[in-house]
Amino acid sequence: MKRFQQLAWPYIVWAVMMLVLPMALIALYSVMNQGNSIISFSFTLEHYAKFFTDPDFLLILWRSILIAVKTTVLCLLLGYPIAYYIARSTEKVQNVLILCITLPMWINMLVRTYAWIGLLSNGGIFQKILGFFGLGNVELLYTEGAVLLGMVYNFLPFMILQIQTSLSKMDYSLIEASADLGASPAQTFRRITLPLSMPGVINGITLVFLPAVSSFFIPKLLGGGQYFLIGNMIENQFITVGEWNFGSAVSMIMAIIMMLLMMAVRKVEQHNQGGKGV
Amino acid sequence: MRQKKRRIGKILMVLSVIFFYLPILYMIIFSFNDGKSLTSFTGFSLRWYRHMLDSSDMMEALSTTFSVAVLATIISTIVGTISAIGISKSKKVVRDLMDQVNNLPLMNPEIVTAIGFMLLFITFRVGKGYVTMLLAHIAFCIPYVMLSVMPKIRSLDPNLADAAMDLGATPWQALTKVIVPQITPGIVSGALIAFTMSVDDFIISYFVTGRGVKNLSIMVYTMSKRVNPSINAISTLVVVIITIVLLVINIMPMLASKRKKTDVVRRRRMWIPVTAVCAALVAVICVAQFGGAQNKRPFEGQTLRIYNWGEYVGEHIIQDFEKETGAKVMLENFDSNEQMYIKVANKEAYDILVPSDYMIERLISEGYLQKLDKSKLTCMDKLNKAVKGLPYDPKNEYSVPYFWGTVGIVYDKTKVSEEDLKKEGYNIFLDQKYKGDIYLYDSERDSFMMALKSLGYSMNTSDQGEIDKAYQWLLKCVGTMKPEIVTDEIIDNMAQARKALGLIYSGDATYVMAENPKMGYYLPDSGTNQWSDAMVIPKNAKNVDLAYAFINYASDYDGAYDNSSYVGYTSANKKVMEDLYGKGGEFEGIDAYIPRTDNKKDEVFEYNEKTKKIISNLWSKVKIAASNK
Repeated sequence: MKRFQQLAWPYIVWAVMMLVLPMALIALYSVMNQGNSIISFSFTLEHYAKFFTDPDFLLILWRSILIAVKTTVLCLLLGYPIAYYIARSTEKVQNVLILCITLPMWINMLVRTYAWIGLLSNGGIFQKILGFFGLGNVELLYTEGAVLLGMVYNFLPFMILQIQTSLSKMDYSLIEASADLGASPAQTFRRITLPLSMPGVINGITLVFLPAVSSFFIPKLLGGGQYFLIGNMIENQFITVGEWNFGSAVSMIMAIIMMLLMMAVRKVEQHNQGGKGV
Repeated sequence: MRQKKRRIGKILMVLSVIFFYLPILYMIIFSFNDGKSLTSFTGFSLRWYRHMLDSSDMMEALSTTFSVAVLATIISTIVGTISAIGISKSKKVVRDLMDQVNNLPLMNPEIVTAIGFMLLFITFRVGKGYVTMLLAHIAFCIPYVMLSVMPKIRSLDPNLADAAMDLGATPWQALTKVIVPQITPGIVSGALIAFTMSVDDFIISYFVTGRGVKNLSIMVYTMSKRVNPSINAISTLVVVIITIVLLVINIMPMLASKRKKTDVVRRRRMWIPVTAVCAALVAVICVAQFGGAQNKRPFEGQTLRIYNWGEYVGEHIIQDFEKETGAKVMLENFDSNEQMYIKVANKEAYDILVPSDYMIERLISEGYLQKLDKSKLTCMDKLNKAVKGLPYDPKNEYSVPYFWGTVGIVYDKTKVSEEDLKKEGYNIFLDQKYKGDIYLYDSERDSFMMALKSLGYSMNTSDQGEIDKAYQWLLKCVGTMKPEIVTDEIIDNMAQARKALGLIYSGDATYVMAENPKMGYYLPDSGTNQWSDAMVIPKNAKNVDLAYAFINYASDYDGAYDNSSYVGYTSANKKVMEDLYGKGGEFEGIDAYIPRTDNKKDEVFEYNEKTKKIISNLWSKVKIAASNK
């Protein structure tokens, strides 16, 4: 068994080079004074202070987390039954359905988002449909609803794929056994199905929540410039303002918060897993 | 009960398929649009397919996208799976640590990962291009693969491999014959996710690529000024190819399994999606290569590297120039001056850049540009006096004007009275009559220009008091007027008359007015930003003579005519401007096409780093205030 350990080493070296080092450079920038040169290094925490002393920044951080939470919850509520349905189909149908869900994502995201702009815009199809119900003047585009829709549209497949993967190899005789022993379907789901699919659920949450927090393109296109999230702010600092140091600090803050959140989620999972065995 | 559950699942499944495919359907329909709009269908035509096939650029981007994605997926799937197995057998500390490390690219906004990679490649002096793009893609794909594979490995019996080896299997056999088959679903879904992430990636690719290598996302994103249905056409092509290949591949094993229904076939089914996918991709790449090859001229010659705004050249100028000179033009695009600056400041070598006024001033002052050899420029006399000798480069020692114009108000003549415009100027953006019916343009420079001008100040002011007043003006606007803050979507939106008025570049107004005669363009007397974009040659240019040839070509009548008539921005070539505006011209009588030159209050932007930062941050605050409404 031990010898498989060696398989990890090349990747650890690679990960240090390609993942840790770039982040270390960003971390370095975040505690550096103005300027982009490592030679004239001087330590400062002013960029962090700047962020935490400005209520506006804290507000958009909060708002970004909130919309990411909403996206994740929606994806989970929609994605779980779909994944369950797929996982209970025959293998052939499963493959077809998975392809069905994955294929749209191979079309450029921006092209698909432009299509949503057309669908949601004033005079677009959705507004016309609402018109039948006497809601013709409801603005759809450039609202929080539009942003939420765009995020769910983009990230839902990840949730489905992850949950489906962990459900597909589940032993279904467990469910029958549980039913035979007198458990209600709800009990079976809570005690058997859900715990067994937990790794997939956690992964799904990771794959939806993390990109949703930092996404800047969907809010920009579907929410308009007035829908400003933390991802937009970081992009803005790097690309428009040119304050790489402050931008780096903001991303470090975000990374740390996300890391803590994900650790908390994993802890909850482990706790549940521990409980299940009894 | 079970039946009912299945039904709910089925309904959701059907709904979600509709949800996923509705935009795709919409996209396909609009690829046949006759007009340039992505949101308003004006008639059936195949012009965008022609445009796509004519553009070797698009075909190359298509093939790059899929070849990078296929390679990155294969490599990251193999490496990711093997490493995941290795890590799962490692000590807990290593396992937890690697978990966190793998989360890094997922956790950070893409822009941060992108800048990180860029810094890395610069630090190690790796020349950017296809290889760096591939490396970056592999780097961010592996964590996705591992994330999918890990739970599967965890749910394996840890003694499985030992048992296999006790029974005489070599470690390699234990790995490939015992472990991998057990975790195949995880590997497949990991590979699918990796592929998806790679195909869609823009920001990371953008900052790690070089030498004109670009994928579809880069092309589409930098096109933002003039997004047109050709992107729908190329996406539709992808859909068609994938569908055909999938159909063929799915029908074949079905026939085979009818003949011989054994376990072997059943086993292979798991690999059907994988093989199907691979075949689909190879087909896409082949078509792309083939399509591109038609127009590629493998001339043994020189290469000209141009870094220009997206969709900022005419339809034929590049091909014509290549034909005439035998050179190959590599066109890279940016969609903001600052985006361009990051690459130039990081020593990326181009032969020609086309930045705006204030950015040219900055590039000159920071020593990035070379002085032009006037004896090699044959075009200066043909250019409009009004765009020569501007403050950013008073003697045109560094720059040759390309496009120019103003920033003004585009308005719906049926909704906005000209009297209001004359009376109020930019203050019309505070007029309650138009509440909820206006667009602001998401650019701090132009928004502050509007506010400063309406208050009677210079737009180049560095006086903190004046800037604060302008900030208050903008806060009042977003606080009371419910504006929508958009970027280039304003072009299509105003052409479709979705709001009454908005702030816009004159070149975009020209396009809007050409599309919709009900639209007008107004320049307040209180002044405007007289902007210009010009061609410059950086100091690290590799092919200076060819750069001069192109500058002359693009400034000459034919090149300038092609550019201006296609893009809609005002040509710096005087004759071209007059002809396009005059009788029978493309923009006959559209006043937005002729920039105002007789107002003393009009100014040219000057570069001031400190003010620029202050204004940028204030503009973010304006947007935050707008989103709190």
